[in-house]
Amino acid sequence: MSKCEQCAFFFPIPEKDMDFEPGKGDCVLQQEDTKGKFWLSRPVLESSAACQHHRSKR
Amino acid sequence: MPTTERTARLKNRCRFKHVAGGEYVDAGVKAGVERARLITESHKKNVGEANCIIRARGLENILNNITIHIQDDELIVGANTEHPDYFPMYPELSYYSTVDMVESRYCDHKDEMREIAEYWRPYTIQTKGEKYFTPEEIGVMYSATTVQPPMFVTAFSSIVPNYESVIEDGLLKRIEVVEKNIADANANMRKSPWNAPENLHYLDKLDQWKGMVIAMKAVVGWAQRHARLAKIMAENFLSEPKRKAELLEIADICRHVPAYPARGLRDAMQTKWFTYLLCHSIERYSSGYGQKEDKLLWPFFKKSVIEKSAQPMTREEAVELFECERLKVSEHGSTKGRQLREFFAGSNDLFILTLGGINPDGSDASNDCTNAILEATESIITTEPSISFRWNEKGNVETKKKVFNCIKKGFGFPSIKNDEMNTQQLVKYFNVPEEVARDWALVLCMSPGITGRRGTQKTRSEGGSDVYPAKVMEIALTNGFDEFFTNVQLGPETGNAAEFTSFDQVWNALKLQLRYAIELSLRSKDVGRVMELKHLCCPFISSIDDGCVEKGLDANELAEVANPWHNIIGGSVVVIDSMAAIKKLVFDEKKYTMGELMDALRNNWEGKEQMRIDFWNAPKFGNDDDYADSIATKYYDLVADEWKRNTTYSGTYPLPLAQSVAGYIVNGPKTAATANGRHAGEALDDGGSSPYMGCDKNGPTAVLKSVSKINASKHKGILLNQRLSTVLMNSDSGFDLWHAYMKTWHSLGIDHVQFNVISQDDMKAAQIEPEKYTDTLVRIAGYSAKFIDLARYSQDTIIARTEQDIKAG
Repeated sequence: MSKCEQCAFFFPIPEKDMDFEPGKGDCVLQQEDTKGKFWLSRPVLESSAACQHHRSKR
Repeated sequence: MPTTERTARLKNRCRFKHVAGGEYVDAGVKAGVERARLITESHKKNVGEANCIIRARGLENILNNITIHIQDDELIVGANTEHPDYFPMYPELSYYSTVDMVESRYCDHKDEMREIAEYWRPYTIQTKGEKYFTPEEIGVMYSATTVQPPMFVTAFSSIVPNYESVIEDGLLKRIEVVEKNIADANANMRKSPWNAPENLHYLDKLDQWKGMVIAMKAVVGWAQRHARLAKIMAENFLSEPKRKAELLEIADICRHVPAYPARGLRDAMQTKWFTYLLCHSIERYSSGYGQKEDKLLWPFFKKSVIEKSAQPMTREEAVELFECERLKVSEHGSTKGRQLREFFAGSNDLFILTLGGINPDGSDASNDCTNAILEATESIITTEPSISFRWNEKGNVETKKKVFNCIKKGFGFPSIKNDEMNTQQLVKYFNVPEEVARDWALVLCMSPGITGRRGTQKTRSEGGSDVYPAKVMEIALTNGFDEFFTNVQLGPETGNAAEFTSFDQVWNALKLQLRYAIELSLRSKDVGRVMELKHLCCPFISSIDDGCVEKGLDANELAEVANPWHNIIGGSVVVIDSMAAIKKLVFDEKKYTMGELMDALRNNWEGKEQMRIDFWNAPKFGNDDDYADSIATKYYDLVADEWKRNTTYSGTYPLPLAQSVAGYIVNGPKTAATANGRHAGEALDDGGSSPYMGCDKNGPTAVLKSVSKINASKHKGILLNQRLSTVLMNSDSGFDLWHAYMKTWHSLGIDHVQFNVISQDDMKAAQIEPEKYTDTLVRIAGYSAKFIDLARYSQDTIIARTEQDIKAG
């Protein structure tokens, strides 16, 4: 099963940041509606199972 | 029109969250659940800890885990929910307000939120506060007839955050200070010999300080999350070089602030916005946008725009940034119960910033930052944030012209406050040193409070909440019983007016009913205050107040500078005009008896039209008529004296503040026919000293003279709405005439004035073809709204206001 760490939208949190935890990263997704584009970021663990938005890193 | 293509795009796609008739206008607006979910998850893990630690952990869990977002074109980033169309929920505040939202069409996660609401029910400040009131008292307060329901059920609060300390210090330095306090306390507690009286106070303080550190670190981490998102967007999602550069600059800014002191205007604006979000809508909900913006940002405006020594930018770029700020506020979502959504018809919340006045050294405080903010206001045309301008004799004419430009375009703001009078109020009643008082800003619509690094107002249990005078007068005539709306005994038994044989008896019944409403309302605020400090600690808000940091106290507990005030909302002039009519027609001329009057009022003047016209034609406030004006003076003195009998949490008596928001519209239908000739259900007067609609017939100077007879210095503020001719304001001599009018207003010692400048024809046309009038704004009372967002009933109350021709004055 694919994991978040293999996803192109997964970005590990730098160690110096206040919310750093080993294996934790930002899941960043682009969305668009009638009022325009916006980008969402939420924390995920690299070991989490991939979601419907998963796109494998090249 | 917007000054740049960016702000034109941002305005065009702005996710406004205005309400009309108690409902959100835009169909896309939804209730976000992440804040509620995260604070609940944290509460379950931390039950048993000190409240300030529970609250700090809750904030930490929200900031570490809530979905953050950045929209295209944005220069200022950060929001209070997981999606730009959402508003947050606060299950820890009020069970009723939460359930109201959960069961509304805005909540898509009903089962989860019902469970969250039930989990919080025993912990809410509503449940904690209700225990100290009888069921009858709760019934009176929750009916929202004579008093506003208490803050522990409305969840409505207001605050002036200590922006200065965050912008000047940065949070990392403040963390160091608090950690030193913790270390010092621990060292003192271990000194030999053990001395309990000298040391046991540290127990609570240690908890408070630890909570502050947790909160501030979480805030720095939350800003870093925004920095990472901006950088990730620039490096992975976008190809356009200009936007990539902007995002990298945003990333740099969010990595720098609020952790470190602001360097230039972009840092200061971003710090201010983050701090606003945290204090007003993430740690808890509080209304307002209280700040002296031109003073706060002036040092950074100088550095970036004038000296170009940090974050250099052109003046045009600064104006664009202020336009962006106004749009950011416009799409900010607030969560209020139904009564307050109705009270703020056409708005999403109350946002009022303050400009002008004088500096602590007595020099003119209006500067080029003031002018740039006003220029952005004039160009972008949004209802929020509203602006209050402190009118001081020393204020320069150039800035006053920019104030005039906004007013003549019909925005309804800046509203004008008398600078000298409001400064002296803080000095005289609240012992504020004059140089501190000179930095005052409005806490909410009308009430001055100090700004700066410590002692600012932190909660509405200090100043706020309402008494509704027209309903109070109604029950003063019916032995305290509400025959018209609730069929409930709302006040003490003060006699049936049909049996009153003197005007003094009428007056005394009014006084006793007012007394009961005032005392019940004040008691509910102070009980709420204690519930807040026990159960709703705000460690971040505390961490940015120098006094709280120094003393190790929660911001709800520390009343370093008392600022108690209490609204008397809509209906004061209905009371005054009614009293004048009763005195004249019943007791002076004896044309009617009290029995006949009560019979007519109970039957809504049915079959008594000539009698109603007689009462309608009795002397009215606002015409420089001493008969009515002497009753106004007596009424406002009574109001001030009745509040003065009480001592509140912060150790002194509150000042009353006569204003309206949309209360004059909402409370009209709850109020029976009144002796000023008004029918049951019709709107009340639109502000503290605004003459009743259509009753001011002797021109604008007569209005000012009537208002000037009230001793405004006994009050926190008294609102005056005036409608001016569009033709005159837009004529070549418009500014000179208005300036002369303002000088008269100022010389008469009047507290406040705000203007609607819109023609009857335009308003009527907008009712027929609203799509052609999307930028038509009007002043309600205390805030402005898009005319087309208002319900027809509300629109008609604006149309009914007398249009004054200031040439005639």
